[in-house]
Amino acid sequence: MQIDVAAAQKLFEDIADQEDPNVANMEGISTLCERLGIDPLEDIRVLVLLWKMGASKKPAEISKDEWMQGCNNLQVDSIDKFKALLPSLDTGFLDREEFKDFYKFCFQFNRQGTHKTLEKDLVIALLPMCLSGGRVPSDRLQSFCEFLETTKDESYSKITLDQWRSFLDFCYEVEDLATYDESSSAWPVLIDEYVEFMEKKAKCGKK
Amino acid sequence: IEMADRANGNIIQLEDGWNNEIKKRAIDKLEQTLDNGFDTAFEPKEYIRIYTTCYDMCTQRSPYNWSRDLYQRHGETIEQYLQNTVLPALNDKSGQGGTILLNELKHRWTNHQIMNKWLKKFFTYLDRYYVKHHSLPTLEQAGLRHFKDVVYENVKEQATGAIISLINEERDGEIIEKSLVKSIVELYENMGLGGASLESYTNDLEQPLLDATRAYYARKREDWIAKDSTPDYLIKVEKALAEEKARVTEYLNPASEPKIRRVVEDEILQKVQMNLLEKEGSGCRVLLANDKSEDLQRMFHLFSRLDNGLQPMASIVESFITSMGNACVEKRQAKLDGGEKEKNDDPEFVKSLIDLHEKYLGVIRETFSGHHLFQKALKNSFEVVVNQDVGQYSNAELMSTFCDRVLKSGGEKLNDSEVEESLDRIVQLFSFLTDKDLFADIYRNQLAKRLLNQRSSSDDAEKLMIAKLKVQCGTQFTSKMEGMLNDLAVGNDQKSEFDARMEQHDTKLSFSVQVLTTGFWPTYKTPEVSLPANMTKCLEIFTEWHDAKHQKRKLSWVHSLGNATVKSIFGKKSYDLQVTTLQAVVLNTFNDGKTFDFNELKKILNLNDITLKPLMHSLSCGKYKVITKTPANNKINSTDSFTANAKFSSNMRKIRIPMASLDPSHNKNRVEEDRSWAIEAAIVRIMKARKTLKHQELIAEVLSQLSFFRPQPRDIKKRIEALIDRDYLERSAENSDMYNYLA
Repeated sequence: MQIDVAAAQKLFEDIADQEDPNVANMEGISTLCERLGIDPLEDIRVLVLLWKMGASKKPAEISKDEWMQGCNNLQVDSIDKFKALLPSLDTGFLDREEFKDFYKFCFQFNRQGTHKTLEKDLVIALLPMCLSGGRVPSDRLQSFCEFLETTKDESYSKITLDQWRSFLDFCYEVEDLATYDESSSAWPVLIDEYVEFMEKKAKCGKK
Repeated sequence: IEMADRANGNIIQLEDGWNNEIKKRAIDKLEQTLDNGFDTAFEPKEYIRIYTTCYDMCTQRSPYNWSRDLYQRHGETIEQYLQNTVLPALNDKSGQGGTILLNELKHRWTNHQIMNKWLKKFFTYLDRYYVKHHSLPTLEQAGLRHFKDVVYENVKEQATGAIISLINEERDGEIIEKSLVKSIVELYENMGLGGASLESYTNDLEQPLLDATRAYYARKREDWIAKDSTPDYLIKVEKALAEEKARVTEYLNPASEPKIRRVVEDEILQKVQMNLLEKEGSGCRVLLANDKSEDLQRMFHLFSRLDNGLQPMASIVESFITSMGNACVEKRQAKLDGGEKEKNDDPEFVKSLIDLHEKYLGVIRETFSGHHLFQKALKNSFEVVVNQDVGQYSNAELMSTFCDRVLKSGGEKLNDSEVEESLDRIVQLFSFLTDKDLFADIYRNQLAKRLLNQRSSSDDAEKLMIAKLKVQCGTQFTSKMEGMLNDLAVGNDQKSEFDARMEQHDTKLSFSVQVLTTGFWPTYKTPEVSLPANMTKCLEIFTEWHDAKHQKRKLSWVHSLGNATVKSIFGKKSYDLQVTTLQAVVLNTFNDGKTFDFNELKKILNLNDITLKPLMHSLSCGKYKVITKTPANNKINSTDSFTANAKFSSNMRKIRIPMASLDPSHNKNRVEEDRSWAIEAAIVRIMKARKTLKHQELIAEVLSQLSFFRPQPRDIKKRIEALIDRDYLERSAENSDMYNYLA
């Protein structure tokens, strides 16, 4: 079905950056969120929407082309239609593969400019948001964030995409930490150290 | 039809021929002489008569051909004789003790062989045709068969028992009749089916003997192991094995040798192997500790007889050597704990490790015949010992400094062959080092110092050491070191050429330059000190000369390394001061009684604090205070002022004023960086070739490619992650355990 191209374009113009009309950055996206009645800082559906629209070229922005393509794919051209879309943006609808892709997008989109990594503090805030809803056991999520917070290792002040993605795969594949064997593990060292952290915790707990 | 021709022209009837001729003349006579013990002899005439009778009886035409009957009666004769005469005689002797029975058996067996022989001779014609035609056993075989069935089968158990008793008596030290036993053994050997088989010997004598041997040595073992020390026990083992071997040679069948040997080895060695090795007070460890080479050698030879007999011993040797090595480390630790200052030089410690290695190289060569399991044990133990944590300075550094001592002039006083020996041994120790790259880094720094300060005792010795390292580690390992030596050699070659050029100018200074190729040498600080005009002129002359020769090269001056001799006059005495270039520049500044404070000097000389402070310290606070510092204390402060020490005097004419080196001994960080790079290069190389690889295989391949250090798996993983980040590799989407190479 053909969407109203002009209407979609107008929506974009409302949120586009003043200096560059071909791009809408976080400011504009926040405006959109306000109009939709969702919180841009707390609501994961913002990211899901941007992901579904294909805002993947640069972090923290969506280009006009991406917007138009996205509107066409999602068949939206008005605020009302966007609002109607909201329930379908629950990550619970995504299968494993789709979710992996979305999860990767979360990382990529939240980067600063040309940086390839995310600040640890951002990761600690972002992970629970992305992985809510039982994708990952909540105790695993919690303890991992605790580990990140307490580790004094300087090299973990920034988290790489590989580490980010591996965490999810790790949660899927290794349910019981007792079965974890570092000597044969290909998981990033971050994960090895997390398991070590948990083992120490368990020992202290026993005392 | 013609009758067969005969002496008397008549046909011989069976009974007639048998009773009157064969039985009377041959068999009865034979039996009689056997019974009486006389030598059996048939005169030729008698023999021919009997033979002929037989022959005739076998060649007569049917129905008078008595071949079948004769064959039968041959057998019956023997059988009856054995049954009626021989067997009773044996049974008679059976209750009277082993030797008596055996002697009787020997006698009867000898007799039987004689009987068999003669009967065969008499009835030969049967063997030629009848036997063959009817595929029957030969006369000899038949005779043996009868002996076996009638006599042997009934007597063999007792005979075996008697033999075993005798053997056990001999084992206990008694003297026995060996020839008797040997004869009986021959009987057993002959009782095999078809004559060639050892079946009877094996089943009826050998097997019971093996069982008895096992029981005998089991008892002995229990007895000995309780009372004897390991060396004493082993001497007994050696003796027992030798005796058993001799026994077989003397009166048993050779086939029994390996079987008896294995039984004895099993009972008195295999079953108590660990007991012997670990016996308190006399086990393997104790023998090693007390250098009991003869006992160890015996132990080695005995245990090498067993399947996997040497591995337990080799393990003990390995653990022993390791503990000896650890003792050296502990000794060093004790020295440091006792307050000794920690330096990068501990020749006593390094030498103790070298001596330990030499000692056990010798032990393995002589006591353990150079056996590979023991060589491996030595290698394993040294790989542990040499890589122990020994304090602030690594083993790599201590070893390198040891080399420095050997190679520098004024170090160890050694002649050429001692130098070669020392270098050889240190390289052997080096081969066990994990952090070889660290050693290389430190060694290069120390080499540079020796070369640049002309402290090298012998150019040949330097080359020799590098050659040895090259053999150990390959060309890449030593290429920089060789480059350094080469720079010096080239410099020497070109020296006279440049000297000629210098003479063309009148600088009033004698000047020479050593050109170093960047990359071969350690990196040095290059302070851009302000030189006096005469020095600058020298530099210009050289630069001109050099650039004409090498257009593509760029020179940068390393004034922190140069040396100078400064002719100085204090009062009326003149001195030759051996100083560094920087010190010379400073001294020059103080000509004509000038005074400067620290900050002024910084400006004049264009040097920073880090360089100027140690420089001024060496000239004003050391042993030879050629510069006077105000205030006079031991620390350089930016408020100090300096002037030449007019009152300086010394008994010596030539004075060397040392200065602390401005460059660190080696750069730990650089070694770490080089390692990171080497790991990444290995990963990329491997993944490029294999395209896709499992994690554990990648780790294993990387470790096998890195010969000069051994990274932890976590460190390798970190490099893998770094390469994933830079898009050289990716994790496989299908298998989280695998990596793909990204072209």
